[in-house]
Amino acid sequence: MIQVVLDSLVRASELSLLAVGLTLVYSVLRFPNFAHVEFATIGAYVALFLSSGLGFNMVIASIIAMVVAGGLGIGCDRAIFARLRRSTPIMLMITSFALGIAMREAVRMFGGPSPYFYELGLQRPWEVLGGRLTPVQAGIIAVACVSMLAFHLLLNRTKLGTAMRATADNQQLAEANGIYTERVIQVVWFIGCAFAALGGILIALDTQLQPNMGFAIIIPVFAAAILGGIGQPYGAMLGAVILGFAENVGLSIDWGALLSHTGLVSAQYVYIPTGYKAGIAFAILILVLLVRPRGLLGAKAR
Amino acid sequence: MIDFIVYLLTMIAIWGILSLSLNFQYGGTGLANFGHVAFFMLGAYISTILVMLAGLPIPLAFVGGIATAALFGILMALPTANLQQDYWAISTLAAAEIVRLIFLNQSLKGPYVGAQFGVGGIPRPLRELFSVETYGYFYLTLVLVCLGISFAIIIWLTRMPFGRALKAMREGDEVPLALGKNVRSLRIRAMALGGALGGAAGSLFAHYNAFIAPDYFLPLETFLVWAMVILGGAGNYLGALLGTVVVQSIYNSTRFLDDLLPIDASLIGPLRMIFIGLLIILVILYRPDGILPERRRRYEA
Repeated sequence: MIQVVLDSLVRASELSLLAVGLTLVYSVLRFPNFAHVEFATIGAYVALFLSSGLGFNMVIASIIAMVVAGGLGIGCDRAIFARLRRSTPIMLMITSFALGIAMREAVRMFGGPSPYFYELGLQRPWEVLGGRLTPVQAGIIAVACVSMLAFHLLLNRTKLGTAMRATADNQQLAEANGIYTERVIQVVWFIGCAFAALGGILIALDTQLQPNMGFAIIIPVFAAAILGGIGQPYGAMLGAVILGFAENVGLSIDWGALLSHTGLVSAQYVYIPTGYKAGIAFAILILVLLVRPRGLLGAKAR
Repeated sequence: MIDFIVYLLTMIAIWGILSLSLNFQYGGTGLANFGHVAFFMLGAYISTILVMLAGLPIPLAFVGGIATAALFGILMALPTANLQQDYWAISTLAAAEIVRLIFLNQSLKGPYVGAQFGVGGIPRPLRELFSVETYGYFYLTLVLVCLGISFAIIIWLTRMPFGRALKAMREGDEVPLALGKNVRSLRIRAMALGGALGGAAGSLFAHYNAFIAPDYFLPLETFLVWAMVILGGAGNYLGALLGTVVVQSIYNSTRFLDDLLPIDASLIGPLRMIFIGLLIILVILYRPDGILPERRRRYEA
């Protein structure tokens, strides 16, 4: 049981960084950026190149990778999305899909199709309350918590954070109050993509690097962001935690025993096959969209 | 070389039906379907299952594939009323992935048929009447006839009051509602029709390729169909076909670029996708209405 909780926390940490970045970009630009998860892939590969290729320390490599991804995000905005501010969300979605494919295939071209690992050496897991947690996984949870806290302080305690919230709330009103919204949008791209890169590095630390690693988690990330109410950073964190637990708890529940209490079925040892793990996120996504499209913390439509 | 051209034309015709059907939904009705590959996949799989497991003749299986895809289109259309366009688009992407996940996990017959192994040895219609060389021409004729029928149906529908109501709905629900049209039922019918055409394309593909696997139906395929529609010009059906020719030619170009370009063969695969991605971005930036923009009828003010 503890093991399930630990696995869920690791997953939630990875998802939260990506979901917060996605929701942040949505909050100011009003379109779901399909290319967002590719910044995770690029960040992970840049960190690999710096650490394994050039011999940088993993922490320094990660920070540089975040800056590179953030800069790339700003570059994509300047080159592409800034010219499409007046386009429909659908056109922006297609554009981001096209950009995402170009980015993913560029990674495949330079990195090759085979998977890589960070050179971490053998990890001896710790015993935590009867469950197993490797030091890397503990680090993943810690990094995600620190990032979320830093983001919270940025959003609420700084002038920049106020400007970001104002721009997300009402761009014209923010401009009327002397906020240079185009600059805020650039900052949002930088933070969103840097967070995505960090999320990608954490996922790669936990599993492996491959060109599809970003696109493989696009649905859980979207599900987390929409579940919390897209455009709501705290909602995205909550959504990531719920998704992380739903995926792991959903697989470990004996649905037969659970449902036999209702008297409708009498069976035991009915588990969701692990092949359907990804389906849990899909099902949550569709269910949320059907029942509460604003999400858990979503504001009422104006 | 001639074999390759026949193959390429067959692929263009099959994907032409797909892009016509997406163009009908997006260009003609304003439904941004990001799970379009689901119709293609259902047409391919259901038709295959009906022939190989249920033992139905191919024409009946073809109809079965179309009907299943149309039903799935109706299912996807149901939540449109309560959802914003972009939210609905994401939900369609997830719906298509759920279908793929089921085919990826469900073995069909014995341990190595279906699931991740795919299904091979799918019977080809009237195979015994033709030699190996001439069968390609026969199938090309078959898919071209299907493409022609699809094109005729869609052009006929867009000229009917039904098609004009769909087009009005594309610009917003207010006008069709004011005219007393049931927008929900219009959307459901548009999705069912587009689904049926997508299912036909899938069935044609399965019986041509004789092998299908879940990997053939990734969200990437949906994007390729979108690329065809955006490139050609949303709302213009000839444009969608032109877009299909361009995108399919680039997509299948690896076969002969291999000999022409002095670069490693493993780089050409990613390169063509980068090229298609950048091409779509450039089209959206500089020619957002596509190569052949939709001709809008002008009325005197």
